[in-house]
Amino acid sequence: MLAMAAVMLSVATILITWSVMGGFLKTLIESGKTLVGDVAIVWPNVGFAHYDDLIERLEADEMIDSATPTIETFGLIKLPDDRVELISIKGIDAASYSAVTGFADTMWWKPITEPTSKDHAGADLRLDPENKAFFAEIEENGKSMSRFNTKTGLYEPAGVLGIEVTGLNARQVWGGYIPQSPLRALPDGGTEWIDTFMPRDGTVGLTILALDSQGHPIDPVTRTIPIANEFQSGLYEVDQGTIFVPLHVIQKMLRLHEAQRIERVKDTDNPFAVEVDPVTGELGPKMKEIIGIDPARVTTVFVRGIDGVELAEIHQRVRDIYEEFAQAHEGEVPESYLMQNQIKTWEEMNKTMISAVKKETGLVLFIFGIVSFTTVFLVLAIFWSMATEKTKDIGVLRALGASTPGIAWLWIRYGASIGIVGSVTGTAMGYWVVMNINEIHDWMGEQFGLVIWDPRQYYFVEIPSAVEPDKALIVFVIGILTCVVGAAIPAIHSARMDPVKALRFE
Amino acid sequence: MGTQMQEDGQGSTVASQPILSVRAVQKTYKLGRVKVPVLHGVDLNVQQGEWVTILGASGSGKSTLLHLLGGLDRPDKNSKSPASVKYQDRELTRLSKRALDRYRADDVGFVFQFYHLLPELSVLQNVTIGGMIKYGRLGYRTHRKEIVDRASSLLDRFGLSHRLKHRPAELSGGERQRVAIARALINEPSLLLADEPTGNLDVKTGASILDAIIEHRRDAGLTLVMVTHDERIAEKSDRVIRLVDGRVTDA
Repeated sequence: MLAMAAVMLSVATILITWSVMGGFLKTLIESGKTLVGDVAIVWPNVGFAHYDDLIERLEADEMIDSATPTIETFGLIKLPDDRVELISIKGIDAASYSAVTGFADTMWWKPITEPTSKDHAGADLRLDPENKAFFAEIEENGKSMSRFNTKTGLYEPAGVLGIEVTGLNARQVWGGYIPQSPLRALPDGGTEWIDTFMPRDGTVGLTILALDSQGHPIDPVTRTIPIANEFQSGLYEVDQGTIFVPLHVIQKMLRLHEAQRIERVKDTDNPFAVEVDPVTGELGPKMKEIIGIDPARVTTVFVRGIDGVELAEIHQRVRDIYEEFAQAHEGEVPESYLMQNQIKTWEEMNKTMISAVKKETGLVLFIFGIVSFTTVFLVLAIFWSMATEKTKDIGVLRALGASTPGIAWLWIRYGASIGIVGSVTGTAMGYWVVMNINEIHDWMGEQFGLVIWDPRQYYFVEIPSAVEPDKALIVFVIGILTCVVGAAIPAIHSARMDPVKALRFE
Repeated sequence: MGTQMQEDGQGSTVASQPILSVRAVQKTYKLGRVKVPVLHGVDLNVQQGEWVTILGASGSGKSTLLHLLGGLDRPDKNSKSPASVKYQDRELTRLSKRALDRYRADDVGFVFQFYHLLPELSVLQNVTIGGMIKYGRLGYRTHRKEIVDRASSLLDRFGLSHRLKHRPAELSGGERQRVAIARALINEPSLLLADEPTGNLDVKTGASILDAIIEHRRDAGLTLVMVTHDERIAEKSDRVIRLVDGRVTDA
C-alpha cells in the first residue's frame, strides 16, 4: 500500500507539473503569436520600399492568407502624469494588421456580456449595460485607430496602448482591470490629480528620431497621440512597453512616407551656361532640378498563411516570393540573399522567450523527476523489507522446487502490479486535479487563503488545465518502470538467497 | 554397490536398487571466518519404499543431511574422495540448479517441523502452490482442475475438507502440519523428507500426524526419510540410522 501510494503521488505530481507547465508554455507561445502572424519580413531601421507590391504578390499566392505593412521602432513616451518612458512603437494599418494577427481581439476596453471565469462578483466595468454604448464606441475606435475630437468635430488618428504602459490600470484578483486616475508629482513634493481615462480623453506624447534620406537619425520629432483603446496581448513585456500608432502617422514622423524627391544635376541641354549657386554664392555650371518620388517604406511585413499549412512551408514560400519581388525591384529593395535571415517565423522571433520558458519547464520537470526518482528507492526499501520478512517463505518455495528466475519474477511481477495500480490511480488523480485545478485553487484560496496563481501577477486568469494524452502515457509507463526497477534489486536478492539459509532464517 | 537384499513380504528376499545412495558426503558451514564441519563423510543407502529414521543429537547434522538428500544444498567438493548423492540413476551433485529445482518439484516432498505455510494463502492455495511450481503458470492453467481435485482429496483424507478457505493462522498446530504434508504430497513424489514433523506438536497430535504419514506411505509406496529425536517414532520405522558427530552409525 505504501509503495502504491508513493507511485500514485509521484505519477500524479509529475503529470500535474508537466501539464500545467506545458499548458503555461503553450498559452505563452500562442500569446507570442498573437501580434506577429506566421512569418515576418524584416528590414530594420530604414525599411524597404514598394511594400505594396510585395503584399500584392504575397496575397496572390494560394498559400498566403494576408499580409500587412508595419514599422517597428523605439521612442520616448510622455504619459499623462508627465513620466517619460522608453517605448516600442509599432506603426500599423489597423484593418490589414487585424487580418494577419489577432490585434482586433486584443482590445481590452469593449462591452462584454459574460463575466470572466474568476469574476464571480461581476465587478468588471465592461459588464455594466449602462457602459455598453461607451465601450462599443471605444472598441470601434481601437479597431479603426481613430478618436473623435470634440473640439474639431473630426475623427483624428489615435494610438492603441498596451494595458500596462501607463500603470493606471490596476490589475484585480479576478483578472480584470479598474482604471485609476493619475497623480502627477509636483516639484514642491505635492501631487496633482488628473481626471482622465485614457481611451476617453487621454493622450500621450511620442518622441522619435526622424531619419534622413540615407536612413541616419536626425532631429527628434514629437507628436501628441490620442489614445483610442488599450490592448492586452497576454505577454507582459509587450503589454507594458508597446504602443500601436497608425502607419501613416509613424511614416511621416520617421520621414519614411512617400515624398517628392528633388535632385540637382548638370543641365546637359546647355553645357556652357553658368549660374550663381544659391547656397555658396559661387559661380558654377548651370544646374537643373529633376523631380521624382521617394516611395513610402516600412520596416516589416507580417504574413499570415492559410490555415492547415505547415509553418515551414509558408516560410519557404514567403522567401520565394520575396526573391521574385527583389528581382522585380533590383537596386531599390534589399537583395534576397540579404533577407535570408530577415524572413523569420513567429517562433524564431519569439525564440528567446520560448526557449526560456521551455528551459524553465525542463528544469521544473527535472527537479520533480529527481524528487519522484526517490520513489524507486522507496519501493526498493519497502520491497527489501518485504523480502526480508518473507525470507522463510522464499526458502519454502525453493524447497517446493521454485527456480531462481521464478522467485525473481514473482517479486518483479508484484512490483509491476503495484506500479500498474499506482500509475493508474496516479494518472487518474493527476488528470482529475489538472482538469479541476482552477476549482481546487479557488477552494484553497477560500479555505486557507493560499493563492499560488495570482492573476495580478500572471497574465492568464486561469491555470492551464489540459492533459496531453502522450504525456499522460509517458508518465504512466515511467510509474510502472519505477516500481519494476525498485522491485528488481530485492527480487534478485531473494532469488539468489541460499534456500537452506532462507529456511533457517530467524 | 548399493544393492541390498530385502524381504518381499512372502518370506523370501529380493535384490533391489537403492532409491537414494549417499557416499563420502562432507559438509562444512562457514560462520564468519570460522569453518564448522557438520558432516564427515556420510555413507547411506535408502531402498525404494523404505522408511528410514535419522536419529541424532542437536547439531549432529540431521537436517543438513536431509537438505542434501532433497537437493536444497550441495556437499563439499573433495578431490580425494568425491562426494556422491544419487537419486535413482541421477547424480544430484552434478545436476544444474534448474535440474535440482525440477528434482525437488517432481520427486521430493518436504515436511518441516514448523510447517512453513504461506500465511497469505488459504489452506487449499497452500497445497496447490506445489502444483503451480511444478507445472509453471501456463501449465497450471491446463492442470488446474486435476491439481485442485488432488489437493481437495488430500485435505479431505487428512480431515481438513471443512478448512479449505481458511488461513493458516486460523488452524491448530496439528491442522497446519496436515496441510504441510498435503502440500508435500501434491505432486505425488516418490521421496518424502520429513524434518521432525511431530517435533512441534503434543504427543497425541504428533501420533495422529505420524499415522497420516504412515498410512499414505503405505498406500502410495512412498520412500520416507524422517529426522526425529523421538525414539518411539524411530522404533516404528524400517531402519534407524544415527548421526553422531557427522558420521552414520547404524542403530
